[in-house]
Amino acid sequence: MSAVTEAAAIEAAVPARPKRRWRLSSRAVSWLQVSPLAIILIAFFALPTFTFLVVSFYDYDRIGIYPDFLLTNYEEVLSSSMTLRVYLSSLQFAFITWGITLVLGFFIAYFLIFHVRTRTMRTILFLACAIPFWTSGIIRTIAWIPFLGRNGAFNQGLMATGLTQTPLDFLLFSPFAVCITYIHLFTLLMIGPIANSMAKIDPALLEAARDAGASRWQTMVDVVIPLSKTGIALGSILVFTQVMGDFFVVKAMSGGQSASIVSALATEIQAMQYPPAAASAVILVTFVAFMVAGMMRVVDVRKELVR
Amino acid sequence: MSRSRDPREKRPWTFYALVTLMGVFLMFLYGPMFVIYLLSFQGPDGGVTFPMVGVSTWWFAEIWKPGQMANIPVSFNRSIALASVVCIITTVVAVAAGLGFRRRFTGSGVLFYLAVASLVMPSLLVGFGIGLAFQLFGWKTDLFTSALAAQLTWTLPFGLFAMFAVFNRFPRSYEEAATDLGATAWQRLRWITLPILMPGILGVAMGAFTLSYDEYARTTLVAGSRNTLPLEIYALLSSSTSPTLFAIGTLTTAVSFCVIGLTLFFILRVQRRRTGHA
Amino acid sequence: MDQPRLPRRYDVELVKVTKRYGATVAVDGISLRIPPASYCCLLGPSGCGKTSTLRMIAGHEVISDGDVLIHDQNVTDLPPRERGTAMMFQSYALFPHLNCLDNVAFSLKARGMPKEKRHAKAREYLALVHLDKFAERLPSQLSGGQQQRVALARSLITEPRVLLLDEPLSALDPFLRGKVREELKRFQRELGITFIHVTHSQDEAMALADLMVVMEDGHIRQAGAPREVFERPSSAFVARFIGGHNVLPGPGGAVAVRADRCRLGMPGEGPHVTGRVAAVEYQGTSVRVAVSIGAEEDAAVVVPDDTFYAGPVQPGDAATLVWAEQDAHSLAA
Repeated sequence: MSAVTEAAAIEAAVPARPKRRWRLSSRAVSWLQVSPLAIILIAFFALPTFTFLVVSFYDYDRIGIYPDFLLTNYEEVLSSSMTLRVYLSSLQFAFITWGITLVLGFFIAYFLIFHVRTRTMRTILFLACAIPFWTSGIIRTIAWIPFLGRNGAFNQGLMATGLTQTPLDFLLFSPFAVCITYIHLFTLLMIGPIANSMAKIDPALLEAARDAGASRWQTMVDVVIPLSKTGIALGSILVFTQVMGDFFVVKAMSGGQSASIVSALATEIQAMQYPPAAASAVILVTFVAFMVAGMMRVVDVRKELVR
Repeated sequence: MSRSRDPREKRPWTFYALVTLMGVFLMFLYGPMFVIYLLSFQGPDGGVTFPMVGVSTWWFAEIWKPGQMANIPVSFNRSIALASVVCIITTVVAVAAGLGFRRRFTGSGVLFYLAVASLVMPSLLVGFGIGLAFQLFGWKTDLFTSALAAQLTWTLPFGLFAMFAVFNRFPRSYEEAATDLGATAWQRLRWITLPILMPGILGVAMGAFTLSYDEYARTTLVAGSRNTLPLEIYALLSSSTSPTLFAIGTLTTAVSFCVIGLTLFFILRVQRRRTGHA
Repeated sequence: MDQPRLPRRYDVELVKVTKRYGATVAVDGISLRIPPASYCCLLGPSGCGKTSTLRMIAGHEVISDGDVLIHDQNVTDLPPRERGTAMMFQSYALFPHLNCLDNVAFSLKARGMPKEKRHAKAREYLALVHLDKFAERLPSQLSGGQQQRVALARSLITEPRVLLLDEPLSALDPFLRGKVREELKRFQRELGITFIHVTHSQDEAMALADLMVVMEDGHIRQAGAPREVFERPSSAFVARFIGGHNVLPGPGGAVAVRADRCRLGMPGEGPHVTGRVAAVEYQGTSVRVAVSIGAEEDAAVVVPDDTFYAGPVQPGDAATLVWAEQDAHSLAA
């Protein structure tokens, strides 16, 4: 038989496929599985956000709020000098906190991944760093008060060792205290993602770099840092947004010397001035969204997280 | 990444520098908390800072005295109840969503970024949005409606990303083998996927519980008339400062430690059974 | 089902099977017929499509085009559990949270068999692979070779019509590899079912296969008994991949000559080609002399050790490769 007729004979001889029971396509299954998450996020996050977007255009007086489409709320917020002051103040805190938590978080993650040898030790140390995160943020914040106060433990320790004669005043109820508290609360948000990125680095790469003659510092700069970009970006996003969105730490620790965007907003909400509060909220959200989008350009977060 | 090395191999000086850094950091983390634990045992005549005037549990007893500005035991119960509900919902929804995200589907990008947005959104604004929406609909804000909703916007993204990390380490071949051997999708989920992922799932549950238990920023505007424990503490802060506050802090942290400890215990038990202490 | 049936001609048939991943074609319209109870090896370099083919037969990959028949039944749209196939994964994929007994009994549990019965049957199969004493152990407590045997027992308990093996020997050390190879062949004979075994090692394929299928780039280049493929490779690719062959210029085009049928000699002793000795590798019973015979061409001569040491050569020496006319096999392409 020639090849052509044989091929035709083979094809003709193929028995028919049995009728397949109806099955959900895998895409439909995925949709079903993510639908609870989607419903909850849309209902409790997207819609409320849309709500205050809408209300930001409303009119208001001492009695209540009235549906409208005004830009006056935005004009008031954007032209107020207090807005500028408060944004600058928050941004200052954000950058200082970001810088310090980045350096601190990076080196601690580096230590955990590349210097600690046994997995058990690494888990224990990581847990030691992480456990405070799972306790109350309020308590951890106010815990600094007896520590940093004029009669606090730190000052008493300093005086006992003779390093200072009089207690240091700037430690508490000052921008210093705010920054210290932020670092205390948020460094883990850097350690986590950065350690996660570093753990994915093949140790053979570091050995190859050393073999090629790079010093440990060069290896760190040229190999480790570029490969931990995602973790650094993620940690930065988390720390930044937490600081920009904070209202409690500034209130408790700055002694009135500083203000935060959100605590100013909270005051307006207490006064039931919802439309201008909503306008402030929209401005803040837009601002934060730009910063996050900018940081996400550096690295494709989604590709790294979801395989 | 643990390669067996000669333990006598010398460490570079950077190692010692980093160990010192680690030590200082841990002291930095735990120092202030220990100060609070100490001060909660302050004597009855002592104040909110050192020196300690005697040692007593007087301030702990104060917590249960009725007529305080705050009602700690009741709000504690509410916190536990709310945290339990949040924990269950978050775990189930996050695990399901994690399963769904393993395949590409239209809208997966949008949903992913929605979760990221929910995570990074300033917490107070979330409460603001929900409270405003409730008001416009004419509903009253309450613990198990609006507060629950607000907390879920915080715990669910955490849970989801944790599940991503868990699934990343889960080889697909286990599930393929199960399918090959004749398991239906449900059997595969019940007998293979979930049991193997149990330690990770326990971690997500613990995370959701503790995040809810300690949550105040998202909850504060929408808890209605019934406060959770963090909100009671927050109210107490502005009214008075006494070592009672520290006693509360010590107790609530002890509760957190218990939850964490229990979870670790169960995770270790599951793992030990798998590495064969059969 | 009631009439007496003719004995079937083939256990597995692939009819113009194609697999596409987006724009890439991993498997391009291949057709293959595997006779009953044969040991079939899919052999080829990485990326040739052999694993995709195996997974399509198993049902773990959706077939883009074409049909797969098992025991004359069209299984193309059927899920794995209805095909009568069982697969042994490269990583074994033993469930880490179940002990060996439960691992082996898993498929029976999925079918609803009660505990007593399925544990008893699982013990039988564990005994078949000589691991009945390890029933209570967890996979993490077993060595690589033992894990593989548990995986085998777990697959065989489903009484498959075809057993599919995805590079089963790659993770084993060389000594164990030989032993396990013999066991696999023995099992296949005793069970009387078809094994389809994917490998990139030609030695393994030649030792085990009744039917050897050489694949490249999504196509089947040659399928036949190992001896036939080795003696009469159909193309330069097959000749080179199968090893032990030189592709040399002949009067009517390229020819393939076995390396052990070539020798170092002088021009004028028959068909020959000149070059330079590139390397000399001692291999115990013989010496492999690599000769570079042109810009990019390489050839090798396998010389029995006593012959070589009677007149050794060194890298850099001029050399002439000589062969006999009847040992040259003409290559179609």
